[in-house]
Amino acid sequence: MSTVAVLRSAPTARRRRRDSEKIDLVPLHLYGLRRRTVNIVTLACGLFAVFTLIPIWWIFVSSTKTVPNFNTTFGFWFAHPFVLLSNLREVFSNKEDGSFLQWLTNTVIYAGVGGMGATVLSAMAGYGFARFDFRGKSLLFLFAMAALLIPIAAFAVPLYLVYAKVHLDSTMPGIFIPFMVSPVSVYLMRVYVGGSVPRELMDAARIDGAGETRIFLRIAVPLMVPALVTVFMLNVVSSWNNYFLPFIVNNNAKLNTLTQGLALWMNHTNIAGSSEDFTVLTIAAGMMAITPLIIMFLVLQRYWRGGLLLGGITG
Amino acid sequence: MLPFIVVFFMFLVVPLVYAVYTSFFTDRMIGGTVWSGLANYKEALTSGAFWTGMARTLLFAAIQVPVMIIIAAFFATMFDIGVARFGSFFRTVFFIPFAVPAVVATSMWASMLQTRVGVFVRIFADLGLPNPNFFGPGHLLGVIVLIAIWEWTGYTIVILYTALKSVPREVVESAIVDGASFRRVVTRIKLPIIRPAIILVIIINVIGALQLFTEPYLLSPLAPNVSANYTPTLFMYNEAFSAQFYNFAAAISVVLALIIIIISGAFLLSQRKKGALV
Repeated sequence: MSTVAVLRSAPTARRRRRDSEKIDLVPLHLYGLRRRTVNIVTLACGLFAVFTLIPIWWIFVSSTKTVPNFNTTFGFWFAHPFVLLSNLREVFSNKEDGSFLQWLTNTVIYAGVGGMGATVLSAMAGYGFARFDFRGKSLLFLFAMAALLIPIAAFAVPLYLVYAKVHLDSTMPGIFIPFMVSPVSVYLMRVYVGGSVPRELMDAARIDGAGETRIFLRIAVPLMVPALVTVFMLNVVSSWNNYFLPFIVNNNAKLNTLTQGLALWMNHTNIAGSSEDFTVLTIAAGMMAITPLIIMFLVLQRYWRGGLLLGGITG
Repeated sequence: MLPFIVVFFMFLVVPLVYAVYTSFFTDRMIGGTVWSGLANYKEALTSGAFWTGMARTLLFAAIQVPVMIIIAAFFATMFDIGVARFGSFFRTVFFIPFAVPAVVATSMWASMLQTRVGVFVRIFADLGLPNPNFFGPGHLLGVIVLIAIWEWTGYTIVILYTALKSVPREVVESAIVDGASFRRVVTRIKLPIIRPAIILVIIINVIGALQLFTEPYLLSPLAPNVSANYTPTLFMYNEAFSAQFYNFAAAISVVLALIIIIISGAFLLSQRKKGALV
């Protein structure tokens, strides 16, 4: 009896839908696996999940505490009084080193514009690499991919020096434009276009007299949507989380990113003898900073789980 | 196409070229900036401060990358074969740290491991154990390894898992029909097929590990053992912005980039010789 038949005979429709992913799996008993192995592996997963969630649980619990409670009560459980709301209010009202709202707004702009720019640029570049032949194409592509090997750390200080010459240091574009250069995204787009935008369709459109821009916008882009969403998300996250680059090229406090601001607050908590009050404030602010991205991930997981990464890596 | 090339050149290639150019000069107190040839490079390559940092990051990479990839490969194969119950739930949970900035991750672990009121220190005290000085010289690198593993394992699992999903089912089935054991299917069929993905993951993580900066930089106020040259990137940062030796810092940038390119290039070549398609 085939696996598919076994799995499809599952009783309820709901069950069947959930198993759609499993249909492709080779049934476990064929491997000769015992139930004990399954239990041990599940336990290992459980342990690693605990390791993964410990800090998240801790940051949530801690942001509901007062400073004295934070310092004296058990770290993994709540304490009275429960002051989550007043802590969050304090995050928005404290103006030391800048304001959280300002950092948040800046980061949304940088990550939004940077992610958008990276998506548009890499969509155009990936499409060009995949569907047009021109002189020096493979050399240029190799060059772009070689950039993957160059550490950000190595060009951050030089970038700052160039910025200082052209007065882009400590400006908004200076912070978000580098986020737009994403060789990985170009690679992913090239692979995706190669697999999902048929040449025949483009040729047919050309015969019908459509211009290249029109073909790109009306035919290629709609077919590229899953890749566009994934690339956008990956770039939003990496821009949102980036610390090093803004830290090097920006020293205007008004333009600080969330990560820069949090690092400043964190310094107040760490240096011995400085105001301890910042401990819980930093924790609550950290929680506020990670919540939007975690929610975005959970909501959009069917996109990043899709076959794009797969195509990108094995293609 | 064209816009990408323009931005690519202006913001990636120009700084690199400028880095090389500027590294040949030196600021003098008298006489301004003068051509000094390879003097900055000579200084960087003969400086103990650079090499101790370099040795430390190499050690860090040598521990963090293999440990993380073994953990990630284990979970990815288990999820792929479907051994674990609630696999989809665990995959989602494991991926969460990818959404957490390194700054927040470091801040959380730093507070939890903090030597006075950190939650783990208190648990140790309650159990009557001596205070484990997590930020002491012996443990500090271990703490950074732990943070890095926490941050990146889930992402690595997703990459390896999606690669594993592309292994054709027929291949596995016919191997089983031929009597291959579970272990054989994993080590002789699955893992060799996703070798390009494993190599990619190794390269990405080695490059990331060798430019270690954020974690030690943010830990430095808590951990006095983080010196100004703890990693080459920290060294470069301090030379540039604390000491204002920009030309010297540019030379360090170039040396660091070359070392990373040589290491990852050598690794890629050695793998290509063994017949892997990269």
